[in-house]
Amino acid sequence: MISLDRASLRYGPILGLSPTTFELPDGGGITGLLGPNGAGKSSLLQLLSGLLPPSGGEVRIFGEAPFRNPAVLARLGLVPEGDRLPTGLRADRWLRMMGELSGLSGEALQAAVAQALQTVGMADRAHLTFARMSKGMRQRIRLAQALLHGPELLILDEPFNGLDPEARLTLMALLRDLAEKGTRILVSSHILGEIAQLTDRILLLFRGRLLAEGTVTEIRQLLDRHPVELRLTGEAQALARWAVEQPELAALRMEEDAVVISVRSPRDILPRLQKAAAEGGIPLRALDPLDLNLDAVFQYLTKDHA
Amino acid sequence: MNAAPTPMATLRATARGYAPRVLQGRGWVLAGLVLVPVALSLLIFTLIRLKGGEASSTEAVKVFHEVLVKMMLPIMALVAAPAGIREDLEQRTLPLLLVRPAPAWALPLGKGLPWFAWGALWLVVGVLGLQVLGGDPSLLPGRLVALVGAWWGELALMTLVGLLFKRGTLWGALYFFIWEPLVRIFPPALQRLTFTHHIESLAGSRAAEVGTSQLLAQEQVSTHPALALLALLLFGAICWALAGWKLQRTPVGLAGSEGEG
Repeated sequence: MISLDRASLRYGPILGLSPTTFELPDGGGITGLLGPNGAGKSSLLQLLSGLLPPSGGEVRIFGEAPFRNPAVLARLGLVPEGDRLPTGLRADRWLRMMGELSGLSGEALQAAVAQALQTVGMADRAHLTFARMSKGMRQRIRLAQALLHGPELLILDEPFNGLDPEARLTLMALLRDLAEKGTRILVSSHILGEIAQLTDRILLLFRGRLLAEGTVTEIRQLLDRHPVELRLTGEAQALARWAVEQPELAALRMEEDAVVISVRSPRDILPRLQKAAAEGGIPLRALDPLDLNLDAVFQYLTKDHA
Repeated sequence: MNAAPTPMATLRATARGYAPRVLQGRGWVLAGLVLVPVALSLLIFTLIRLKGGEASSTEAVKVFHEVLVKMMLPIMALVAAPAGIREDLEQRTLPLLLVRPAPAWALPLGKGLPWFAWGALWLVVGVLGLQVLGGDPSLLPGRLVALVGAWWGELALMTLVGLLFKRGTLWGALYFFIWEPLVRIFPPALQRLTFTHHIESLAGSRAAEVGTSQLLAQEQVSTHPALALLALLLFGAICWALAGWKLQRTPVGLAGSEGEG
């Protein structure tokens, strides 16, 4: 569905996206595009949505270059960052126009507008002008315009910015639902928790480079040189004695009633740890991985490339 | 998958979608630019007549040429054009249109049509209002066609300039208020490169009303009215086409400005 072959993007002398290669397969699912501000997320999304042509390399969506290509644009939806909408227009009439610009007409158009408004929970407030809408409402309308024509690929740029917690949860549920129904969703964010709640399949960007691609676990496996931190709670002295005998140990730190160990290849050491605890060989009361979440992966990767 | 909309469907959709914009503040400013000078003229001439004075019918011609043509029409174009496709560029809402399968080249005209229609409506009302002051009724159709034709051309020109230059309004103002007045001293070939020349060819020259202090440095040339109208319409069509071509070819990113891709 999405294929980038050394695609890059320049803004004059500034490199927005280094030559990047990756593929996303057909079918539904959510892929997170993760990176701090300025990482190149928006540059990548602009290439994918056909707003900008690549400065080098090749971008293919549904097998074709997307820039000003109606055959591609008819099959994708874009929710750009922010809540900007044309001033002075009513949401329902604007959506109608956007539907017409997507090739819808007649009853199909009416049904699509009604369905999109229903999906985003704005059916009863669509008669309002954008100026009278809250930020969350405008965000929903922006999502509705992207859903009107039933896109196979939905691209969202920082869609959770400015939303209250309830609206975030609602949007996440909606995206999961769309993905289950077969829509491929690409969602960018600089907030790790948001992406982690939606999906574990991520593309990690930093300073215009694609650092990693895959699930959190897969990416973590790429980072064997970075030890994983585990907190072993129990009798610290005894736990430390056991830990120093393990070949995977990289570092050890004592706490009052725990020991924090850094280990390489946690898949090897964890079974031994569990076995020793079950057999009473070590006084272990609790085991807490400290850095197996997305934040840790992100920290590791960006620190490495900074 | 839906079929991409035709250019006509795109024009229809954008014109209808953005039509409500003309009924807001900027649209009424546009109406006011025509109606206020005409209404003031009517008021002044009515007062003069009420006091037993005699208002010359040539005053209507002066208001037409000196106020509507020279001042208000360019200001209308400078006010309306930024509310066209340039507005979406500046408000960063253009990407929402450009990710649609509709032909991008049709968008400037589609968004400009409501403004053209709205402005044309008030220009017609204004010219009809001036007719109340007097003047030769046989010149009325020429005046109407001249103003509406020039409005088409000037709005198209400003839309194009707004897409070509960041300070499009400034360049437009320089054109209207520095280049156009030079028509009085231009040689014949350059006179034809002004809106004023074609408007006067259609609406009747104001030369008869020129005082000795306003003597022309060059002989004033005239173009056949049909050719003058054709020139205005063609010039407008070319400007709309160029604006569409510019938008179609130019990468416009999420930031709204042109990309370098």
